Order: sequence, then C-alpha cells, then structure tokens
Amino acid sequence: MRAALLDGIVLGLQYGLLGVGLTLIYGLAGVLNLAHGQIAVLGAIVVSLLMEGGRPVMVAAVVGIVAASAFLVFLDLTLMRAVYHQEGEQRILLGLLLMLGVAFAVEGFITWRYPVQQLSIRISGDAVTILGVPMPVGALVASGIAVAAGLVLVLFFRLTTLGRGVRSVIQDEAGARLCGVNPATVRTLVFGLSGALACLVAVTRSMTGPVGFANAIGFTTLALIVAVVGGLGSVSGAFLAGVLLGIVDRLSSTYIGTYVTTIVLLLCAALTIVLRPSGLLGRPG
Amino acid sequence: MRRDAILRVDGLSAGYAGEHIVHDVSLEVAEGEAITVIGSNGAGKSTLLKAIVGMLDGTRGTVTFDGAGISRLATHRIARRGLAYVPAERHLFTAMSVAENLALGAFPGRPEAAREDLVFDLFPRLAERRKQDAGTLSGGEQQMLAVGRALMSNPKVLMLDEPSTGLAPLLATEAYRVLARLRDAGLTLVVAEQQVPLALDLASHGYVLENGRVDLTGTSQELLGNPDVQRAYLGVA
Repeated sequence: MRAALLDGIVLGLQYGLLGVGLTLIYGLAGVLNLAHGQIAVLGAIVVSLLMEGGRPVMVAAVVGIVAASAFLVFLDLTLMRAVYHQEGEQRILLGLLLMLGVAFAVEGFITWRYPVQQLSIRISGDAVTILGVPMPVGALVASGIAVAAGLVLVLFFRLTTLGRGVRSVIQDEAGARLCGVNPATVRTLVFGLSGALACLVAVTRSMTGPVGFANAIGFTTLALIVAVVGGLGSVSGAFLAGVLLGIVDRLSSTYIGTYVTTIVLLLCAALTIVLRPSGLLGRPG
Repeated sequence: MRRDAILRVDGLSAGYAGEHIVHDVSLEVAEGEAITVIGSNGAGKSTLLKAIVGMLDGTRGTVTFDGAGISRLATHRIARRGLAYVPAERHLFTAMSVAENLALGAFPGRPEAAREDLVFDLFPRLAERRKQDAGTLSGGEQQMLAVGRALMSNPKVLMLDEPSTGLAPLLATEAYRVLARLRDAGLTLVVAEQQVPLALDLASHGYVLENGRVDLTGTSQELLGNPDVQRAYLGVA
C-alpha cells in the first residue's frame, strides 16, 4: 500500500506535467491539443537522435525542448490562424479537428521514419529508501524536475507581469486588450511554453522507462484526463489532478489489474464531468 | 475645428456584422476638457466608443489621437498610447484580486506605487478590499475598480461608457464627483451617458446622439437650455 502510494505520487507528478501543457492552451485559445502526446514523442525522438550522435544529455534535452516548442509556435502562427477567426463552439470544433489531423500527421511521420527509435535516459545511482520503500534515482530526479517545473509555472503566472498578462487573457480577452495586453502574443507564448512542457515530460518519463512512438496516444489521452479532472486552464489544478490520478492509477493496477487502469482513469474523468464539470480547481462557466 | 484637440473623430460609421449603427459621427475633445455623448438606450453611444478604441470590425472614418491616426490600430496598441476606455460591462478579471486587476492596468509596465496610491485615494473602498477577488465586489465597487484599473496606465484620455449604470442614485452622484476631481486635475474625459443631468454637469461640451447620428451639439449650458433636450432627457414638460 505504501509503495503503491509513493509510486502513485511519482507517476502523478508526471501526469501533472503532462496535463499542464494541454490545459494552458485550452484555457487560453479554446484549442484542445489532441497532438500533445505526439509532439512530446517527436521531441523525445529529437533528443534520442542527438544523444546517439554523441551529444551530452543536457544539450540534447534542451535542443529537443526548443524544437518541440518551435513546432507548436509554428502551428500557432499558421494552421491555428483559421481557428482564431471562429468563435465559441465552431472554434473548439475546428481546433479539435485540426489538432487531430496534426496528431495523425506527426504519428504517421514517426511510424514511417523512426518506428523503433526510443528515448531512454539512465540516471545512475543506488535506489533511495523513502519511508521504507526503495525508490529508483531516475524516478526521484523525474519527480524533482516535475515539481520544479510546476513551481516555476505557478510563480511565473502569479508574480510576473507577463504571467499576469497570460491569466488576464484566459479570464477576459476584451478586458485584457483594454489593459494593453496583445492576446496574439500571449497565445504564441503559451503555445511555445506548452510545446516545451510536452518535450520536458517526455524527457522525464524516459528516466523511468523508454519513450517512443507507442507512447504518443497514451500521453495525449492522459493529458486530456488530467486536464478535465484538474479544470481546463488551471496550472495547480493539473498538478493536483495529476497526483490524485497517479495514486488511483497505482492503487488500481496493484489491487485490480493493469488492464483496467485506463478504464478507471477514464471513469474518474467521467465522474468529474458529472459531479464537477469545471474540474477540481477550474472556474465554473 | 479647434487645433488643440487631443482626440478627434471624423465621419465615423461603425456597427456589428457589417451593419452600421453609428453613421458619420464627428466629435472632438481638447486636452483637459470633459465632453459627454448623451442619448437614449440604443442610440449608438457604446458602439461609438467601442469603434474609437478599435474593438469593432468594419469601422469607417478617421480617429486621431494625440497627433496620430489610430483608426487602424489594434485595441491593445490604442490602450498603450494612453487612450483608456471603461466599458459599461467593465470586463474586470473577476477571479483576480483587486490589486492584480490594478496591476494589469499598468501592463506592460509594473504598477507604480504612486499611481496605486492615487487610485486608493480616489476610492478608499478599493484599498480595504485589496486582496479580495474582483468578482466578490458590489456593483459600485466594481465600477470603482474598472475606473481605477484604467487610471493605472496614466492615460491621456479616459473614456467611460455609462459610469452610472446599475448604481443607486447616491452612488452615481458619488461616481461623478470622482470624475469631476479627475477633470479638475487635468485629465481629459469622454463620457457616454443616459443620466443627462449628471453628464452635462460634468462636461463643458455635449453631443446628442440619436439613431446613430449626432443630432445636436453645443456647450453644456446651451444643451441644458434647449427645449428639445429638456423634453427628451431632463424630464421637463
């Protein structure tokens, strides 16, 4: 039980990191990025190719993160333009369809060119015993990075002028314009941030197991579940939901079975939609 | 046409979805002056102000502000140039604190303590509720916050759409007392209003908007003495 809980928290921090990138774009632009997992894996492949080419892990990771970020910025400046001209339901639907197309395209590209390429970052060191449970160093480093990323995001949104500008657009775009905030700039910034977060989570996940093409759809699904449970647009909500779902995930695979775990997680999302449609920390409306 | 107009609107036509509600409106305001646009509900006052700050598509005519044409600028650029607008719907950030709303008023700069002090001096209630979410404020306090937020950028011109709407008569009078203080301090004001007596008392010049056109214009004294204005807006039989 204790081991399942600790494992759940470790996994949950990764879920949080996965969900936060998706939730931000939705909260801001009304675009549900169904290609989030695919872009994460694309980043992971860039990192693994660079590492095979002899680059140090840190350099490879930074280049991969920048590449994934640039890819989403590119989407924001090109394909998504059509979406921003729409309002309400049409905007959400068009964004959904276009992103689904991107997901297929990216996944197709990976299956075509790099079907067996995997990123796996090994962190050496003995397992550390926490509360009597031995935890692999890789899992702890991954958790540390997730927590640090979450804290940086929260501080950025709470304390900086730019972060406040981003939140203002999420809350009231017309009000933000009247304050001198340019919603288009904020959107590009958040797309770039989301791409960087997608690749970052692929990098941290690769510290506990290989990340390749097969993970893409699972990443997207999990990111969606986390974003729904946490509340679309909420950073702290994504991390809270991530950790809760991580614990549910581990408990369910320990006591029920690995195969039903995804169903259990989807049930959590369904329950959230029924009981609290705006999510744990999302604002109603 | 006076030369020293800080804001000048020439032949402006604007509306929604390609249909113009406001037709060929021209007006101007000199630096340090207060003017008012009066008219009944649906006369086009809000449309006019929204068009000036670039919130509407398909606007025709020219707007000159502080010596430069702003007709084609995006709303956020106009705001950064110092033309602040407080819409009737206020558009506050309801899930953010009063302090954060004010800080955003200074975007992209950092909020200056001196500006904040000025706002709190005008609206002591806001100082008391600094940490409270804007959504939990009363209607009157939200109106104060909307004006306060607009003032944080140290604007050259402040435009307000129906600042008295939704306020009890006493609060509306209080709101206009604050606007008079701002006018006396040298801030240029453009106020769209249905509460004609309050607005004409504040402004030196008025424009009467009817069916989207300027029906009548003159000094506030002239308008107050005009039988048509008296009949339509001042309740004089």
